[in-house]
Amino acid sequence: MSATTAPEVESPETPEVDSDVVIETRNLGKVYRDFWGRKKVAALKALDIEVKKGEIFGLLGPNGSGKSTTIKLIQGLLFPTSGRAFVFGKEARDVTKNERIGYLPEESYLYKFLNAEETLDFYGRLFDMPAEVRRERSDKLIRMVGLNNARRRQLREYSKGMTRRIGLAQALINEPDLLILDEPTTGMDPIGSREMKDLIIRLRDEGKTILLCSHQLADVQDVCDRVAILHLGELRELGRVDELLKVRDVTEVHAKGLSDELKGKIAELIRNEGGEVVTIDNPTTTMEELFLDIVQDDRPGSRPSAT
Amino acid sequence: MRIEENQMWGYFEWLIFKFGLLQGVLVVFALALLGFIACYLVAMARYGPSEGFYHVTRVIYELLARDLPGTSFNRVYALGKLAFQEAIRRRVLVIMAVFIVGLLFAGWFLDPSSENVARLYISFVMTGTSYLILLLGLFLSCFSLPADIKSKTVQTITTKPVRPTEIILGRILGFTAVGTMLILVMGILSYIFVVRGVVHDHGVKDVSADGRLGSTTVDARHTHSFEMVPGEDGNYAEGTTDEQKGHRHVVTVREVNGEKTYEIGPPQGLLEARIPVFGELTIFDRGGNPTMRGLNVGYESEYQSYIEGNSLMAAEWTFDNVYPARFSGGDTLPIEMSLKAFRTLKGDIVTGVQGEIILRNPNGRIESERRPFVVKEFSVDHIEIPRKLPGSQDGVPREVDIFDDLVSEDGQLQVVVRCTDGGQYLGMAVADLYLRAGNANFGWNMFKGFLGIWMQMVLIICLGVMFSTFLSGPVAMVATLTSLMLGFFGGLALDVASGDAPGGGPIESLIRIPMQTGAMVDLDLGNPVLENTVKAIDTGIMYTLVTLFQAIPSFGQFNTADFVAYGFNIFGGLVARHLTMTFAYFVLTSVIAYFFLKTRELAAA
Ligand SMILES: Nc1ncnc2c1ncn2[C@@H]1O[C@H](COP(=O)(O)OP(=O)(O)O)[C@@H](O)[C@H]1O
Ligand SMILES: [Mg+2]
Repeated sequence: MSATTAPEVESPETPEVDSDVVIETRNLGKVYRDFWGRKKVAALKALDIEVKKGEIFGLLGPNGSGKSTTIKLIQGLLFPTSGRAFVFGKEARDVTKNERIGYLPEESYLYKFLNAEETLDFYGRLFDMPAEVRRERSDKLIRMVGLNNARRRQLREYSKGMTRRIGLAQALINEPDLLILDEPTTGMDPIGSREMKDLIIRLRDEGKTILLCSHQLADVQDVCDRVAILHLGELRELGRVDELLKVRDVTEVHAKGLSDELKGKIAELIRNEGGEVVTIDNPTTTMEELFLDIVQDDRPGSRPSAT
Repeated sequence: MRIEENQMWGYFEWLIFKFGLLQGVLVVFALALLGFIACYLVAMARYGPSEGFYHVTRVIYELLARDLPGTSFNRVYALGKLAFQEAIRRRVLVIMAVFIVGLLFAGWFLDPSSENVARLYISFVMTGTSYLILLLGLFLSCFSLPADIKSKTVQTITTKPVRPTEIILGRILGFTAVGTMLILVMGILSYIFVVRGVVHDHGVKDVSADGRLGSTTVDARHTHSFEMVPGEDGNYAEGTTDEQKGHRHVVTVREVNGEKTYEIGPPQGLLEARIPVFGELTIFDRGGNPTMRGLNVGYESEYQSYIEGNSLMAAEWTFDNVYPARFSGGDTLPIEMSLKAFRTLKGDIVTGVQGEIILRNPNGRIESERRPFVVKEFSVDHIEIPRKLPGSQDGVPREVDIFDDLVSEDGQLQVVVRCTDGGQYLGMAVADLYLRAGNANFGWNMFKGFLGIWMQMVLIICLGVMFSTFLSGPVAMVATLTSLMLGFFGGLALDVASGDAPGGGPIESLIRIPMQTGAMVDLDLGNPVLENTVKAIDTGIMYTLVTLFQAIPSFGQFNTADFVAYGFNIFGGLVARHLTMTFAYFVLTSVIAYFFLKTRELAAA
């Protein structure tokens, strides 16, 4: 029996290692205080989420809704004022969990006096990787994020989008099992943004877990399997994207090249069969509707039950 | 230049017999206890009594069980290299340029006609180096971590498997590497500067008809006269010049095609690293009995003891391990002394105060004859005593051999000094008379001097990094400087903290204020238990204060530039001791820095 070797300080509430749950937060909350300990902002209130292995989980919310705060709490960059967070079954403040995490911060906080190669070599060393692995991986990543032509230039000369790309490469240097991305597409051009999303999906297909946060609805709608919608630090919606967006009594028909005459016929057919035509139009982003619906509903405590 | 008694201690003598180790352990223990209490109080205020205790012990546990074992060389190297690159990017090399410009224009403000050019040059380069390097260490270490926290680059680091230990070690080592590089270059340039500035040649100006006397040309703003000594064949072959500005030259004659050419060698005695052998000093009072201290002549500095002329008063140095091998074979025993004279009568100012010196076997039976001398004030008097000299055994005159007769079986020799001028006094401290065991290499000595600057730099970097883990850059700088100041004046603070100041410690004083009792009256609370409790607590507080003051490095002691400038070899024991203390402070500050960094919310700044 070796079950009693756990150190005494390890609290008994550590979750039973459920290999399927990568991130778990329990009643996680954060109140920012000023120097004198006075309460400034309650940035996050009692968050309970579970991110499962192999999914893309999105945190969606307007600016200042507590997305970055959540991400920092999960990584131990901030200490919670209530509740706890676990990653891979370890406490958020345990640095060894970082071996398996890749993190792209809000802005890429990198050393401006290093060039792309030096940057990746530096972060590779922080994972104790041997020299040839570092060299090979940084080369692969620099090509992958499309910075091959700028690999010897100092980061201070990089544009916003390029900085984002090297930030992403830095997050992937350790081939992480969990990728945490804070607003991954901000600052990227449409092509870069598309590439980023394709990459995220590809990484998920390789079996990695991804937690991303964004205020851009399109991102979330395009790539996420599940989303949590935060507003004013509260969880407002949680569920599968397709489930959340499915309006059960509305059927959407996508067709191309219909003449106005034909559209009229279809409308008539629906009416004849006892249906009701809501719109016959080009489709809108229904995510946006859902989002605006939540955000405009400002009553506190209207948290829905999570799926 | 004054060599303190504690500077003569050997390494193990300091560590064990002078309680260096014990003191270190006590300081660490007291700091650990205080730190624990302070942390616990903070944690208690935040989390409550039991939860707070858990948090504090947790951090200790994490350090010992996880972060220390988890510390990886590769990560420390990466972070150190980053700190190095950052420093270079901040153009620290400008410091190098400042130094070089300083050397180039040194001629403008260094007076080459000074009495001791070597001393002047050495002091100049070493002071310059230490100011520049210490400033550099201060700026690099205090501003780096706060800048990283502000720019949030630290968040990208701490979300990698990086331990706080590695961040601290990386910074300290990286900045130390930068400083080491600069010190090395500055040291080499300094050495070249000093040697080039001091070494000079003379030509021969004129020689007397018989070839015995002569004088040199004026070079480096001085000239020498010289005297040749006849060799075995009766011809003048070799001679020396007189001493000017602390040096002499050897003069040789060569005959080429029947014509005599005089050659004057390089200066000797300028760039020296004298190896002194210090003894233990005992003063004998007017009755001829050993005493703690000699006379105090009142207004003179306190550290010397004075002996009166024409009395039984004497100063006796006892030296250990006096073997011929230590004195380049032992044909002569060189003694150097710099005694002070104190006059009570208006005597003959020109001849000065007279004294005598006697070598004696500690058994008291064999001694040398009295050798009179005239005190050379303000300079070092060098006496070479020949191995065989007249003396006496049990009062019977005979020739004595220093190493065979005067040195005892276990290698001890006593040197006795008396003042022979009635009414005048001779003043001395233990370091004022020593046996001269040859020379160490000057370059090596200068290296040890620069090592002293290096240790000061390491100390500043450690303190700066420590303070920057919880203070902003400018505040960390002020805190570091304050610690250094306290270290400089540590002795003073210690007196205040440890002194039996009248009126007792803080609590007793507080009680006395409303009671309006005089400080000299014993505390009377009508309850002996209470009184003793107050005193015990006060002693505890005072002791803690003393310990804390001792924890502050007395920064000045690492500076051994004076040894180099005044031509004394820096003792290996002293260097080893300083290195040990530097390492101890490195460990101490690193641990404190760890606790602050570990408990800091890096993203909340
Ligand atoms: N370091 C901080 N100190 C004080 N308040 C903060 C800090 N960081 C964030 N906040 C506040 O917390 C709230 C949530 O911020 P954040 O998590 O960054 O939002 P998001 O990432 O969703 O835009 C905001 O009101 C923000 O002003
Ligand atoms: Mg954000």
